Amino acid sequence: MPPPELQCEVMSKLSKTRSSQEHSRFFFIGPAVLWLLVFTIFPLLYSLYLSLHSSRFLRVTGFVGLKNYHLVLTDYRFWQGFRVTLLFVLAGVALTVILGLLLALLFNHPMRGIKVFRTLATVPLFTAPVAIGYLCMIIFYEEGGPINNFLLAIGLDKVNWLSEPVWAKVAVVFADTWQWTPFAFLVLLAALQAVPNELYEAAALDATSSWQEFVYITLPMIRPALTTVILLRTVEAFKIFDIPFSLTNGGPGLATRTLTFNVYTAGLRDQNLGEATAIAFILLVVMLAVTFVFFRGYRSQYDE
Amino acid sequence: MYRRVPRWKRILIGLAIGAATIWLVFPFYWAVITSLKVPADVFRLSFIPFVQFEPTLQNWSTEITQRGREVFGGLSTSLIVAVSTALLALTIGTLAGYGLARFRYQRWKNKDIAMWILSQRFLPPAATVIPFFLMMRRFGLVDTRLGLILVNVTFTIPFTVMILRDAFRELPVELEESALVDGCSRLQALLRIDLPLVAPALVSAGIISFAFAWNEFLFAFILTYSKATPMTVVIAGTSDTQGIQFWYVSTRMLMAILPPTILAMTIQRYVVRGLTFGAVKG
Repeated sequence: MPPPELQCEVMSKLSKTRSSQEHSRFFFIGPAVLWLLVFTIFPLLYSLYLSLHSSRFLRVTGFVGLKNYHLVLTDYRFWQGFRVTLLFVLAGVALTVILGLLLALLFNHPMRGIKVFRTLATVPLFTAPVAIGYLCMIIFYEEGGPINNFLLAIGLDKVNWLSEPVWAKVAVVFADTWQWTPFAFLVLLAALQAVPNELYEAAALDATSSWQEFVYITLPMIRPALTTVILLRTVEAFKIFDIPFSLTNGGPGLATRTLTFNVYTAGLRDQNLGEATAIAFILLVVMLAVTFVFFRGYRSQYDE
Repeated sequence: MYRRVPRWKRILIGLAIGAATIWLVFPFYWAVITSLKVPADVFRLSFIPFVQFEPTLQNWSTEITQRGREVFGGLSTSLIVAVSTALLALTIGTLAGYGLARFRYQRWKNKDIAMWILSQRFLPPAATVIPFFLMMRRFGLVDTRLGLILVNVTFTIPFTVMILRDAFRELPVELEESALVDGCSRLQALLRIDLPLVAPALVSAGIISFAFAWNEFLFAFILTYSKATPMTVVIAGTSDTQGIQFWYVSTRMLMAILPPTILAMTIQRYVVRGLTFGAVKG
């Protein structure tokens, strides 16, 4: 038994939030929990089940153990997709975070037009990625697209943006970065503006250089926001499908085919449910492993 | 950070801002002028209407008169799906957000439930797309708007729950406590007292859900093929049927882009908070 005064404190705290006795509390949380059980947890388990079975014409035919995983892990197309996905994650995250941070620092002064720019910056974020893919296809188009026309106009050679594996990857990363940099920019700008001015004033008294100011004041103050940006951005980057689908259709060859793309081709084009769900599960595990590294630090921001 | 900036630095900053603005706007601008060009002008490097090329509304009128059914079918499906998704996700999110803000759950702690709901956003959609397809086929929901709504509500619940949980937490408990003393039920207190006060959060959560549902592609592409294709799937079919007719492609692209982006511009203040699930206050 806790001492009486502590007990009393606990009791009063409980009654203040009227928490645990009211049965109606389940009515409030119920729909959300139920919904996610039916539409997330069940499909995940179903997916796991499928990945351990063979199938024909979208029907399960028998238990095969880890055979699908073995097939997937010995398939060069999987490893190609794996490499492409990792490349897009690394390049996409690094570029968006660096560009977003630079932009946020640039705009962290009182200036005219900042509201307009901020409003404009929300536009790519709320544009369908599949539309961005097509917009970029028009821009990167090799015969007469604006970028190649511009390169020709200034006396350079045109670039095979969509038909050369390396450049196709560049084009996808460009489109993805273009969409997500505003996210990093907006979040980091909000974080920068929340840094109290007194800190900089104190630093000015000590005559610190702006680099020192950045490293010792700005960076530690915006670290939580930076972690959030990196985490959420990484998660989204692992899911990339729409942009390679619309911009390059996964090509040329397999050059821009990501893991999600592989799930789509294996599952719905080749109707091989077992292998497709095995790929999906490997993707899930990789993603969880990567996010787990950040997860504990991130979680603290949501604690009461 | 309000220190005096030397002149050369100011010029440099100005140039950088100019470059950033062009970078941000160029793809949209190019789509707009492409949609206003005659085919012969599309593959020429020209930027300024009236000066460098003669703009025309020909593409827009062709698109609307000849392929209107396809385009407006896509737009209306997207609209119905996105609005229904937003309303349903808001209902579920309001209840759960209120529950997480006002009660204390015991077997699973509040923050565990919140993290569990949030972790839905961390799942790759690829991990559930195939079982979803089979489930929808089983229940005859393939190529229906209802199927799409179910998918999109699943993906947007984390947004509505987290945004509204935050909003309810910021309200003083005392307001509704007096109502509860006066004999209101929990639900009445929520509907009459709290809900009007969190209206801005409701609107932003609704718009974010609307936009995500409108922009969703992978599931829509797999679950629909003719009767219930939303705009994202319609534009994906454009390149097959019309090849490289960029002047038509860009008109469709713009119609697909405008609704969610215009709505999003009105919730400026909530974008940062909403998209980071409340981790960063904008």
